[in-house]
Amino acid sequence: MLLTQVLTGALAAVVCGLDRIAVLQILLSRPIVAAPLVGLLLGDVAIGLQVGVMVELLWLARLPVGAAIPPDDTQIAVGATVLTSYFSRVLPASEPQLVVLCLLLALPFGKVGQLMERRARSFNTRLQRRTEDALERGLLALAFRQHRVGLLSFAVAAVASYLMIIVGGLILVPLLWPLLKAGLGYSHGWVQLAFPLIGIAVILGTINVNRAITLFCAAFGMAYLLMWLL
Amino acid sequence: MRSLLPWYTRLRVWFRLIFLQASWNYEWLQGTGFLFAICPALRRLYPDAEQLQEACQRHACYFNTHPYLAPLVAGAVLRMEEERSLNDREQFVSIEEFKEMVAAPCAAIGDALFWGGLRPLVGGIALFFAVKGLLWAPLIYLLLFNLVPLWFRTAFFIRGYRQGIRSVEFMQKHKLPDWAIHTKEAAVVVLGGLSAFMSFELLQQTTHPEWQGLLIAVPVILCGFAARKGVSTLLLVFTIVVFIVLLGVFWADLVYLISWFS
Repeated sequence: MLLTQVLTGALAAVVCGLDRIAVLQILLSRPIVAAPLVGLLLGDVAIGLQVGVMVELLWLARLPVGAAIPPDDTQIAVGATVLTSYFSRVLPASEPQLVVLCLLLALPFGKVGQLMERRARSFNTRLQRRTEDALERGLLALAFRQHRVGLLSFAVAAVASYLMIIVGGLILVPLLWPLLKAGLGYSHGWVQLAFPLIGIAVILGTINVNRAITLFCAAFGMAYLLMWLL
Repeated sequence: MRSLLPWYTRLRVWFRLIFLQASWNYEWLQGTGFLFAICPALRRLYPDAEQLQEACQRHACYFNTHPYLAPLVAGAVLRMEEERSLNDREQFVSIEEFKEMVAAPCAAIGDALFWGGLRPLVGGIALFFAVKGLLWAPLIYLLLFNLVPLWFRTAFFIRGYRQGIRSVEFMQKHKLPDWAIHTKEAAVVVLGGLSAFMSFELLQQTTHPEWQGLLIAVPVILCGFAARKGVSTLLLVFTIVVFIVLLGVFWADLVYLISWFS
């Protein structure tokens, strides 16, 4: 059961990981898409949707500009969904509590994902030198084969980040669950709200818009009052 | 000017641009991907092996732009390569200079418009549906977001090929930097509404009075200032989660203490 779930997750990790930088870029890699997709494959769409909502906005303000690499929120979303799906069948816990715990454990691995992507890009520099050599010798087919091998390096990086999250989660969740279940039982709803709100706060703090705070407050106040009064 | 490249060759180039970043690296960035994309056109324009090798080596260099606006550059480069293959001489701006000149502004505009504006805007809209538990939310996200880049990828490629070096004017005419600012403003408004919606939904499930939800904007703004000062997202998340969990555990004691003092 676990192996099937991990392999299914790995497949999604590769597809979504490649979309992140190497191919297409139709945003299959965004947590709001990747997590429900994995959830769908595992038969737990609702879990995927909860994970997606919580992670989507967190690092949205970190733009993948030039050589900058944001933390790997794709693999966090995929990994956390697989872990939650597995532990929801193993541990006597409610889904929202497990989502919060698995996500908290997966978040620091976003930095590992960043590192993996950096390694993949460095490896591709070697491919580029091979391309250069092949072009000098007039071997176009060989040159373009290097370009396709680049896809492989990104795929390996995606799977490596994903597996680290899974292994870390499989070790840590059973250890931490007895310690945190009481605390999460009281406050998981607020924690679930905090994640997207922190993402929004970071966007507000970094977005290059005049009067961003004013616009945000006006929209927040108006929307809240309307919902409250109606 | 008569087109030397048939539609299917251009279509192949357009399709190959999807793989622009497949071998992204720290020296050429998207350079290999760009060469890979335009190779079918170069093969057609330079049937002689030596000329083809020379053309490929010309493009084997640093290149970096936004992947959604790369088709504009590629389209214009194809047109310029056609002219070069016919006349065997450079225009007043060489193809290499043109790529350098256009790629950077396209990257800046694309980053601001697509990553900085459209992504949070569409993300905010999709999250409304997702918070409501609508399972179609990811599809709504994909549809809403991809319509715009697909249009840019297609229309700008066609325009780039038609106008060649003058395609820059086409981009200027569309005032994309202004659109980036408008999209970002719309994103801030949507995210404000989304924050209110999520807070209201949660407070309805608790025993807290609903007016207290208005206070949630305060920590959001404070976190925004912290992020502006360089505090990392991860640190913010863990600090706030620890605070919430502790508050949850000791809430009853806190209420008791407050009532005892008053």
